[in-house]
Amino acid sequence: MIDTPLLPLVILLTSLSAAPVLFALPERKARLRTALNLAVAALKVMLVILLAWKASQGVIYDVRLTVLPGLDLHLQADPLALMFVTLSAVLWLVTTIYSVGYLEHGPHRARFFGFFSLCVAATVGIAMAGNLFTFLLFYELLTIATYPLVIHNGTAAALRAGRIYLIYTLAGGLMLLLGTLGLWGLAGTTDFVAGGVMAEVAADRPGAARALFVVLIVALGVKAALVPLHGWLPVAMVAPAPVSALLHAVAVVKAGAFGIVRVVYEVFGIDLAQSLGVTGPLAMLAAVTILYGSIRALSQDDIKARLAYSTVSQVSYIALGVALASPIAAIGALAHLTHQGVMKITMFMAAGNLAEGFGIKKVSQMDGIGRAMPGTMTAFTLAALAMIGLPPFAGFISKWYLAQGGLAEGHYWVIALLLGSSLLNAAYFLPMLHRAWFCEPPERVAQIPARPRIDLWLTAPPIITAGFVITIGVLANAPFSPLEWVRFIVDTEFDGGL
Amino acid sequence: MLASALIIAICTPFALALILACPPLRGLVWRAMPFAPAPALALAVFTEAPLTVTEDWLILGTVLGLEATARLFLIAATLVWICAAVAARVWMRKDPQATGFGLCFLSAMAGNLGLFLVADAPSFYALFALMSFAAYGLVLHNRDTASLGAARLYIAFVVAGELALFAGFAIAVNEAGSLMLADLRATELSTTAVTLLLAGFGAKLGVMPLHVWLPPAHGAAPVPASAVLSGAMIKAGLYGITVAVPLGSAAYADAGVVVVTAGLVTIFAALLLAARETSPKAVLGLSSVSQMGIIALGIGVSLSVPTAWSVVMPVLVFLAAHHALAKGALFLGTGAFAAQAGRIRAIVMTATLVLPALILAGLPGFSGALGKEALKAALDAGPAGWVPWLTLALTLSGVVTTLIMARFLVQLWRARPAVPASVSGDALILPFAALAVGAVALPALWPAIAGADARPITEATPGKVWPILAGVTVAVAAVIDAHTRRIGWGAFLATLTAPIERATARVTEALARRRRAVARRARALPVAVDGWISARRFGQTGIAVLLVTVIVIETVERRIRPEPEPARVVPAVERPPPETDHAAP
Repeated sequence: MIDTPLLPLVILLTSLSAAPVLFALPERKARLRTALNLAVAALKVMLVILLAWKASQGVIYDVRLTVLPGLDLHLQADPLALMFVTLSAVLWLVTTIYSVGYLEHGPHRARFFGFFSLCVAATVGIAMAGNLFTFLLFYELLTIATYPLVIHNGTAAALRAGRIYLIYTLAGGLMLLLGTLGLWGLAGTTDFVAGGVMAEVAADRPGAARALFVVLIVALGVKAALVPLHGWLPVAMVAPAPVSALLHAVAVVKAGAFGIVRVVYEVFGIDLAQSLGVTGPLAMLAAVTILYGSIRALSQDDIKARLAYSTVSQVSYIALGVALASPIAAIGALAHLTHQGVMKITMFMAAGNLAEGFGIKKVSQMDGIGRAMPGTMTAFTLAALAMIGLPPFAGFISKWYLAQGGLAEGHYWVIALLLGSSLLNAAYFLPMLHRAWFCEPPERVAQIPARPRIDLWLTAPPIITAGFVITIGVLANAPFSPLEWVRFIVDTEFDGGL
Repeated sequence: MLASALIIAICTPFALALILACPPLRGLVWRAMPFAPAPALALAVFTEAPLTVTEDWLILGTVLGLEATARLFLIAATLVWICAAVAARVWMRKDPQATGFGLCFLSAMAGNLGLFLVADAPSFYALFALMSFAAYGLVLHNRDTASLGAARLYIAFVVAGELALFAGFAIAVNEAGSLMLADLRATELSTTAVTLLLAGFGAKLGVMPLHVWLPPAHGAAPVPASAVLSGAMIKAGLYGITVAVPLGSAAYADAGVVVVTAGLVTIFAALLLAARETSPKAVLGLSSVSQMGIIALGIGVSLSVPTAWSVVMPVLVFLAAHHALAKGALFLGTGAFAAQAGRIRAIVMTATLVLPALILAGLPGFSGALGKEALKAALDAGPAGWVPWLTLALTLSGVVTTLIMARFLVQLWRARPAVPASVSGDALILPFAALAVGAVALPALWPAIAGADARPITEATPGKVWPILAGVTVAVAAVIDAHTRRIGWGAFLATLTAPIERATARVTEALARRRRAVARRARALPVAVDGWISARRFGQTGIAVLLVTVIVIETVERRIRPEPEPARVVPAVERPPPETDHAAP
């Protein structure tokens, strides 16, 4: 049994150290690469479970490496970090299985899996970052590690998307650097502390505190795809399906949203942010993003583009819940961090299967595909219904808590917003389901033999994650469910204010 | 023990739906389908309501349970589902899309039966959504233009209804501070919450103006699906209102006025729509709309006067059970009728359908009339100004329903519903007959099922027959009118007088024939005489005799007659002609 105070570091290093090995492996050693990938991913899941179990026993993990006086490389395992680490570890394992199947005969597999591994290491670092400085380091690492993944196909469109992605995220990274320096200069520390570190600064110089908030939110909003900083996300969907899945579910978009949670709760503190009057505009921005993303999704015929705009909309639920400054809404927001990841990864993997199995990339080609790929489309259907917010799936739980949180604070507009968003979700997902299950397949699809052309490596992962979508919703009240975990987090963040 | 019984009752249909995904077991599932609602029925019949089991870990903390009201709804719903499942087995035997239908049918069944067995808002909402969305596949099943249009309309209303319910439940839970339905209806909820809940459930109930989806969906769905849509699923809307809206604990005067008005309009306007509707099943759907208008009257009055709810609710539950059985029977009977081969059997089937139709219209002594009379008595507790009008509306609703039923029977013949080729008419008669018998026996069975809640029904007057007679009269008149419009009054009168004219013509002809006979005889006699005479040469003989006689007489006379005296000569006087006098002056 590994029991070391350096456990967070070990978890970080599992994927970080796997990366060079994966780069070095010759292209043709596919089996070895697969074995190594899966072994590392499985090992990480086990370590994370161990970490979570230890942490729930009351063990506090805190790893500091001093870089400059007062500027530490700080890893910790607070409940919020644990949640995000668990999400990324579990979904990484699933996505690795999927990638092995997806890239079976594709070129540059060594490069792909190397950066893939780096990308996940960066996510783990972001999750466990104990201060903004550490967060910044891994945030930048994430940008650099995902760029080769986005342009993996090497086509002109992919290169263009990569360029746009890089411009957006590097600009965001610079903003974050600025913000980190600002925070260090103003507060003298960049540590994440429950309740925030800005109280004294804000009392003296509220204007500077507000400006810092804006800088940090804009920096993080680029990755969280808040309107009008979302431009890169729909373009980046040219990436291979597993990359899109990971990008939308855990890695990039979630890193931004997670950063917003950290900044609002642990840099400023929700009470301070409220008294500075910055949560209202953030909530408005989130509301606009939610509706804008859904409205744009309506008119997309490309399946992945539709899913990408849906992500723009759905991720802003997190920002909305944070900005509502209500413990109950915060539960909804943080639960959605997990829920949206599970739902969206299912949909992207299913979309990838449609493209792999039948070359279907557009909504208008989806007629009758349900009968040809029942497993994949069942997973897609469950995830779509969950996105709309139907109980007992995961999406309902987050929407329910967001609604309750909004009502508890007297924000009736939140209900209207959620209804509008659900209506739009239904309007762009239900036609896809209708086509898949109730329309007659065209000759091309009907003639293909009943046994799907894609193997278990590709069909199993979305089914597994769809299983999560159901169990997370159905067992929401059971111990160790994301919802229970989030309740515990919010309980600590809000000082037992539940 | 109870917990597992409840979970089995909810999950049996759902488990069957999942097994349906496995091809080798499909036949088994179809055979088991009529028994899928059996655990729920057994639970409703054999357990003592209320019972409650808490499952903390499920969804947001599920509480399973069975209350007295839910039990009554559940019994009626399971009966409809069982009979519809029997019909579905027959209907889908050779259908290429049977698996999809079975999946949707069983999922909708799980949702519909399950929602009577939960006591917390999120679980109720989840099962309600499962039922509503699964029924999309039922409406769509035929995949023709009409089904696609109906399904699109249906899903739009479902999504809108679900959103209203989400908002309504979210606000209500926030105000009540509890997830329990019992706490929601005990709290004085805000008008916003109540309005949203009423709108969400009203869309399922089909009260105008939220009825738009209902007739096309009922018309487009296959017969077994229409039966459960109308018999079981729209009752879930009523159940939702009884279980989540604080009727009886708070007054919502404005909402009451709106609901009563909507109910009044619904009862009568449905007839106008039915008169233009051609599909017999859509006509039945409009009849459901009209009947739900009656239910809306009860709800509206209780919204205005909370004290009325305790007397109104048992009656509404009875009316719901009555409508479930009678309407379920009519839908299944429509299928059975359409599947009959041969004119005689179709006529017999039509005659059998008249019975549930009349029960629905309010044949005195049967469930429809008893329910309506009981509702009249219960609505006396409502606002004094409304009572006479409501009573009048309820009485006239009998006329309306009779007319709609007449329209249904006529359209049954004029636009006979399509039936899959493999469906045998005989196999569909059993489920129809079971529900029809249930509808007939309901007043007798109700005291045993409902216990004390049955008192308003047992004490109700049998009802009047004149609304039905009036309805029949108007219906006959309408049929005549329509007929004459098509062929013209002259032609219609001609058809009416045709028998008399035929009789007259026959008599005239007989007389003429006799006259001709006489004339023939009269002509024949002289001919005969003539022939006889000529045969005997009487003519020549006669002439000879005559000549001889004349000669004899002349001869004799000359001899005996004296010489005549010479004649006196009169001198002739010559006179000139008068014209010449003037002509020659």
